[in-house]
Amino acid sequence: MEGTGQAAASGMAGARVDDGAAGGKALKVVAAVDASEESLHALSWALDHVVRCHPDAALVVVHAQHAVDHFVYPVAAHGIAYAPATAVESMRKAQEENSRRILARALDMCKERQVDATGAIVEGDPKEAICQAVERFQAGLLVLGSRGLGRIKRAFLGSVSDYLSHHACCPVLVVKPTKAQAK
Amino acid sequence: MAAEASSASPAAEGKMTVVVGVDESDHSFHALQRVLRHFFPPGQPQRYRLVVVTAIPTAIGVVSPGVVMDVRAFVEADLNRAAQRVLDKAKDICAQVAGDAEFEAVVGDARRVLCDAAERHHAEMLVVGSHGYGAIKRAVLGSVSDYCVHHAHCTVMIVKKPKHKN
Repeated sequence: MEGTGQAAASGMAGARVDDGAAGGKALKVVAAVDASEESLHALSWALDHVVRCHPDAALVVVHAQHAVDHFVYPVAAHGIAYAPATAVESMRKAQEENSRRILARALDMCKERQVDATGAIVEGDPKEAICQAVERFQAGLLVLGSRGLGRIKRAFLGSVSDYLSHHACCPVLVVKPTKAQAK
Repeated sequence: MAAEASSASPAAEGKMTVVVGVDESDHSFHALQRVLRHFFPPGQPQRYRLVVVTAIPTAIGVVSPGVVMDVRAFVEADLNRAAQRVLDKAKDICAQVAGDAEFEAVVGDARRVLCDAAERHHAEMLVVGSHGYGAIKRAVLGSVSDYCVHHAHCTVMIVKKPKHKN
């Protein structure tokens, strides 16, 4: 009896470590969103076309928040902007509020389609932060909008989606805006 | 009866079309296998329509000018055979998918062939493997996956072969 119990335990451990050649492994989908409409459209596309057909899929909505300290260094000399601690704090609070709003909007969209999703906020440079998040969550699929950085950063040609499609450790789904949306 | 139902329903259901680009590389077959694993699980009614496309490079690009015409015909025949081998291998891999899958070999540059196939089949998603080249190799050798992401009108899925299995 004890022998079979031990065998079962080690069998389960093996299954956890294994990449999962079995077809039953649930698909873990990570969707990256920001303030842009395109990323929300990407999420909605994924909800309609991927999650709907994988009822056991787990969905995580990720928002990458720029680290606030990055912008402001308290340097006394040379007239570089010196921000008192209170300003840094209020910037951080504003950022968090912004992130929460974005995530709330995304999670509402998931709820509308009766999909259980969890939200996560990661800090730092969006490219690397999302890349690391994908590894941490052991995602099976990453969903991105193609102009996720918004209009101003469009000049960089969606460098986040470019970077991630080559560096993420899982397949990357890049969703294009529909012709109606592309203005 | 179940077979009739599944073949009658696609028109009504509007199955999503998935186009997968393959070539001789392992990376593309890995991408195909990933697509099958996640989107075409065996033993269930298929919810997507699969189209597998491979590009046949034009012989003109391969053979240098000033060569006897016979050689060009030979090269073309050889390229067609190579493409057919790729499709045969893909058919083996897709054997589990219910008869819906289509296989095409189209002459032309891989980039345009894949994007055009996606448009022709009104695909909702185009899947390509990626060789995982660094930025410099991509700039020099040209990346099909890069081109597809920027020029396809539909969603593009890029599947990389993992460098190491943990």
